Amino acid sequence: MDISKNQTDKSLDIALAGRLDTTTAPKLEAELKQSIGDNTELNLDFAKLEYISSAGLRVLLAAQKVMNRQGKMVIRNVNDVISEVFEVTGFSDILTIE
Amino acid sequence: MIQISHLRKEYASVTPLKDISVEIKKGEVISIIGPSGTGKSTLLRCINLLETPTGGEIVIDGETITDKKCKIHLVRRKMGMVFQGFHLFSHMTIIENIMAGPVDLLHKPRQEAYERGMELLRMVGLADKALAFADELSGGQKQRAAIARTLSMEPEIILFDEPTSALDPTMVGEVLAVIRTLAGQGLTMLIVTHEMKFARDVSTRIFYMDQGEIYEDGTPEQIFEHPRRERTRQFIRRLKVFTASINSRDFDFIGMNSQIEEYGRRHLIPQKIIYHFQEIFEELCVQILLPVLPEEVSIQLTAAYSQEESCIQLRVRYNGSAFDPADCDNPTALALVKYASKKLEYLGYSAEDGMNTVVLTIEE
Repeated sequence: MDISKNQTDKSLDIALAGRLDTTTAPKLEAELKQSIGDNTELNLDFAKLEYISSAGLRVLLAAQKVMNRQGKMVIRNVNDVISEVFEVTGFSDILTIE
Repeated sequence: MIQISHLRKEYASVTPLKDISVEIKKGEVISIIGPSGTGKSTLLRCINLLETPTGGEIVIDGETITDKKCKIHLVRRKMGMVFQGFHLFSHMTIIENIMAGPVDLLHKPRQEAYERGMELLRMVGLADKALAFADELSGGQKQRAAIARTLSMEPEIILFDEPTSALDPTMVGEVLAVIRTLAGQGLTMLIVTHEMKFARDVSTRIFYMDQGEIYEDGTPEQIFEHPRRERTRQFIRRLKVFTASINSRDFDFIGMNSQIEEYGRRHLIPQKIIYHFQEIFEELCVQILLPVLPEEVSIQLTAAYSQEESCIQLRVRYNGSAFDPADCDNPTALALVKYASKKLEYLGYSAEDGMNTVVLTIEE
């Protein structure tokens, strides 16, 4: 999985490409831990994300909790398969997906 | 009609038939299927004593043919055999090939043998080739002529030993069509074949042979749709089987995912099914099972893909104590397993080998 980020002001944009699974979720977790800081906006671009597992969802949930306290988190460009995963796990109710 | 008990055939280095006991009734059309080298042809060749059995007994219409006193030529008269390699006489015309047996062995008048021969050639669609020589015919035509010749001896039983294996694929259909016609005529037929669709369509009964025994015996529906035993299942799914095991917590997760992808590519499995397979592998094996299994972990996966049903049957076995994945405390992973599988069933824990079994069906 590739992670690319862009920091502007208090807004952090992160784009993911590939698979967010058991082996790659810790990489995203570490990246967020390091970069979230006091950002008030976290934008995740999933245009190039092909697969997400429960391990990936856990990282998203943790990030969502942090951002609930200091601002907002938005996920964009979710493909159909991942969108279904959000649906069946109930994450579509917790996350802000645009 | 044919009773076989404890039939055994062994050579110095191999034992193609270990212990065959089976009863065949008049009018049954039986296809014998199974991997190569499992004794299918040897069984046929023992039934008409082209091979002498090492042990056991074969009784045909009350006559014990394995008894040394048996007049085998009289028993053989009831049986015809169609070989892979046709075995037509090349110096004779087709009709002469067909008339030879009835005239020389059954002592039929030539005219009667000719008329019956032509009738049979019409039936197999070769009346216009009656005066051709064998070498002027295509493989499929030769095999149809060989079938007509077998029929000219008025057998009650016909043994087909891989009748289409030596043929060009384009000619398989015409030969199968002839055998199909015969199947409806009350003859008792035993057909060793690798043509599964054909076996399924024409047979009244299937023997699945494996490792020198009739491993499973049943109706085509049972064998092809609901095979009861593991090896039959794997064979029926045409070896589209994937097996893997996890024996360490540090197993190669990425490698396993690549293997699943490769399995999908090799068998042209729809991408969505492979995606679900990967989801199940990760959520069930890695997220749900690994955390609760003992340090010496053992997870075995066996997946079989059926092209006809466009689905994968996945069997996951794992050690530890009895554990139903539905009772796990990872609702997200469980939701994804349920989402990715059409059916998820915990078959229970076997105290014998200390393994749990879960079966899943994965569809698009």
